[in-house]
Amino acid sequence: MNDSRPLSIPVILGTPRQGRLSEHVARVMVEQLRKRDGVQVRLIDVRALRLPSTDAGEAIKDPDFSETVMHADGLIIVAPEYNHGYPGILKHVLDSNLKEYIHKPVGLCGVSAGGFGGTRAVESLLPVMRELGLVTIFWDVNVSAAGKAFDSNGQLLDAALPRRADKMIDELLWMARVLRYGREHIPAE
Amino acid sequence: MATTTRMRCPKCGAEMNHHANKVDYSAGAADPPAVDPDFHGVLQEVHQCPNCGNIEMRRAPEGA
Repeated sequence: MNDSRPLSIPVILGTPRQGRLSEHVARVMVEQLRKRDGVQVRLIDVRALRLPSTDAGEAIKDPDFSETVMHADGLIIVAPEYNHGYPGILKHVLDSNLKEYIHKPVGLCGVSAGGFGGTRAVESLLPVMRELGLVTIFWDVNVSAAGKAFDSNGQLLDAALPRRADKMIDELLWMARVLRYGREHIPAE
Repeated sequence: MATTTRMRCPKCGAEMNHHANKVDYSAGAADPPAVDPDFHGVLQEVHQCPNCGNIEMRRAPEGA
């Protein structure tokens, strides 16, 4: 499996809410990915997609988003926890693709204002990831007390976050290489 | 898992790899006869092109 092509790993920022702290977390994930050789990164902001709410699913595909996911080798989803769940718009966006996800790894990053680091958002995303055909990895990133992890200008205060992000990224990139090889070369039977 | 002929990539012409089958529940709404009664959705083959990265789904043959 000698493949020198870069890996494409988009980061999906899963909330449109004004004042979102998840934006800072997503930026950290992007920065950590950009430190890796052979990795192409793009931030996908659900706020910018502007999918209609008069329909759902693949009928409302955003061509650019779908093309980005099609050529992705893995995904990172940054999701805040709102009322013990992940944002509804994130589900709306994720549901607009299907074939683009299958046999690709996904790393989940939960964010919360409280002390549980978005774990309930991450846990509730797991069955959705599975049904979409994504492959979840065993490293998550959890950001608790997000208001204290960054200053008012969005500067990182939690010095441990990049190291925790790196652990997830290590695993995600390994899975991305393996699954790309599998998608391209190993038949279903 | 039965399969038909190898799929040619409609974008670049390379031979694609059929790497997964997936039940597509939403596809049944547009094409009710395609719904597999055993799976309650449309059984789709997922193919990836090793040359250009294109991904295609097509309906699996009956009995797949």
